Amino acid sequence: MKTVIVQPERCVGCLQCRLACAVEHSRTMELAAAIREQVIPRARLRIYPGRQHLAFPNKCRHCEPAPCQQVCIAGAISRRPQGAVDIDPERCINCAMCAMACPFGVLTYAPVHLAPEKRAVALKCDQCPEREAAGRSPACVEACKVGALTYGEWQETQQDKGRALAQAVFASMQAPQETASSLPATIRVWRQLS
Amino acid sequence: MHYVIIGASAAGLAAAEMLRQWDPAGAITLISDEPHPPYSRPLLTYLLSGEARLDQVWLKAPDYFEQWRFEARLGERAVQVDAAGHEVRLQSGRVVPYDRLLIASGASPRLPAIPGNNLEGVFTLRTLADWQRLDAGLPEGGRVAVVGAGPVGLKAAEAFVRRGCRVSLVEMESQVLPRLVEGQAADLLHRALEEWGIEVFCNTAPLGITAQQGRVRSLALADGRELPTQAVLFATGVTPNTAFLTETALAAAGGIAVNARMQTAHPDIYAAGDCVQSVHLLTGKPAYVPIWPAAVAQGQVAGANMAGAHRCYPGALPQNSISLRGFKIITGGLVQPEGADLEFVTEFDPHRVRYRRLAYKNGRLVGLTLVGRVEDAGIYFQIMGQQLPVGDLAADPRGPDFHPGRLWG
Repeated sequence: MKTVIVQPERCVGCLQCRLACAVEHSRTMELAAAIREQVIPRARLRIYPGRQHLAFPNKCRHCEPAPCQQVCIAGAISRRPQGAVDIDPERCINCAMCAMACPFGVLTYAPVHLAPEKRAVALKCDQCPEREAAGRSPACVEACKVGALTYGEWQETQQDKGRALAQAVFASMQAPQETASSLPATIRVWRQLS
Repeated sequence: MHYVIIGASAAGLAAAEMLRQWDPAGAITLISDEPHPPYSRPLLTYLLSGEARLDQVWLKAPDYFEQWRFEARLGERAVQVDAAGHEVRLQSGRVVPYDRLLIASGASPRLPAIPGNNLEGVFTLRTLADWQRLDAGLPEGGRVAVVGAGPVGLKAAEAFVRRGCRVSLVEMESQVLPRLVEGQAADLLHRALEEWGIEVFCNTAPLGITAQQGRVRSLALADGRELPTQAVLFATGVTPNTAFLTETALAAAGGIAVNARMQTAHPDIYAAGDCVQSVHLLTGKPAYVPIWPAAVAQGQVAGANMAGAHRCYPGALPQNSISLRGFKIITGGLVQPEGADLEFVTEFDPHRVRYRRLAYKNGRLVGLTLVGRVEDAGIYFQIMGQQLPVGDLAADPRGPDFHPGRLWG
C-alpha cells in the first residue's frame, strides 16, 4: 500500500503540510475561501517539537489491523480497498473510543463541513481519497519542501534508507584508508601493532 | 469442522471473522436471541439522545452473513448446552450439533429487587427492544429518574435532558462514575451535570417505585426522599448471561471461568465477551470487565484458538470513554491502586476544563484519568498495558508537556 512516509530528521517544522491538509479537507478546497468557511477546516496531522529532531510530524499510520477500527462502537471506521483507514463523519458519534485505542495519539475531535450538524467528529489522516483516485500525492506530501513527507511503498523507502546507510558506512570506512598513507610512519606502525 | 457461536455481537462476530480467516472451509453458525441483524449496543444511548439515527446502529452490511459464509440463526435463543453430546438446544426445540462451541452470550441489566420494578414505566437499556420500549414510553417533557450514575446512566440522563425531560440521577456511592474517576474529575462532572439541569442524588439507593393506576408516580429513596417521576431507568450494571449453562457447570455469578486461551473447563467450549470472567491485566486477579474493546480482543483470541491456533489473551485492561455534549472523559486502569510505592500526578487547568491524573506503582503507569483533552489516551494505555518502566522511556509521561514528539521525535 502506498502511504505517506514520515522522515522526522528532515522536518523543519514549517507547518505547510498542516495548511495544505486543512485546505484539502475544506469545503471549497481553496485557501482564500477556506479560511472564511463557516466550519473552520482542520489539519489531520500535527507537528510536535521533537526531542532529537527539530520537529516531529505525527499522523495516522493506517495500522493493519487498526486498533481504532476494532473498538469503534459506531462502525464508522473502515479500510478503503487501497488500504487507508478512513472515518465516516456521517456515522461518527464523537465517543472518543478511537482516541483510547490509538497507540500514536493521532486523533482530534472537531466539527467538519461534511457533518455540519454535529458538535464534533473524530478526524485523522484519510490519505486524501480524491487525490488517491486521481493518482496524485496527498496534499501534505505535495506541500512538503524538505522531503520529510514522501508518498510511496514503505518497503521501498526502507530499502532506500538501508542502502543509503550502507553506502555511508562504506564511505566512512574507505575515507581513513586514503588518508592512511599521509600518516607519519611511527603512527602507522603503532596502529599495525595494536 | 462445525463451529457454533452463541451470541452475535462484539465478541461473537470478532471470533467468527477470525475463525473464517483461519479456517476458510469450516462451517460457522451464529445463534443469537436478537431478531435484528448485528447492531451496536453502546450506540443505544446515542440513539436515545438523537446523536445517532436508527439506520446507523447496524454494525455490518446487509449481505454480511452471506459474504463471510456464516449461517445465522437470528431470533433463536439457546436454552441448553450439552457438553458431553456436543449439542446446543434452542428454544424452538431444534438442536444444533457442534465440534467447537463459543459462548459469547453477553450480559443482561441488573434490576434491583425492589417493589414496583416490573411496572410499565420502568426501563433498562441493553437491547434494541429496550430502546424501542423506552423511546415510545418516555414522558416527553415529564420527569424521569435514572438509577445508577455509570457511563450508561450518565449518557441516558443527558439524553433525557435533550428530549426535554426533568432528570433526577440516583447513585448509591458518594459521587457519579464511582470506581471510574476520583475527586477532582468527579467534581468537574458534577458541575457539568448541574449546568445541564440534572439533579444528582448521591449516597442513596432506591427503595421502591409507587404507582397510580398502573403508571409510575414516584421513586422512594433510602434517605427518605420521594422523587416524583413518570419513568425510571435502571442503569445499575450488568450480569453475565449464563442461565442456559447450568447443566454444564460453567455458569458462575461472576462470569464463565476461562483460561488464557479463552477455553472453558470443557476443551471444546470457549467463551468470550461480557459473559466471561477475565483477568485484570495489571493485578492479575480475576475481574469482570464488560467492555467493548475487551470483548473484541477476547473474541479474536477465542476464534483463532478454536481453529487450532495457540493464542493467549493477556488480560483485560479496564478503560472507558465517556462523551457528554463534547465533554470527554477517558479513564482506565486502577483508579485507587493499593500497596506501597504509589505516586499520583495530577494536573488541573480550570480555565480550559482540562484534567489529567496519572497513578503510578513501582515506577509503572497503572491508572489514568483524562478530562477535556483526551487525544493522547491511547499512548498512555500502551504504556500502561505493556507495563513499561516509565523511567526508561524517551520522555517521562509525568512531565507537564508530554506529547508524541517527546516520545518519538
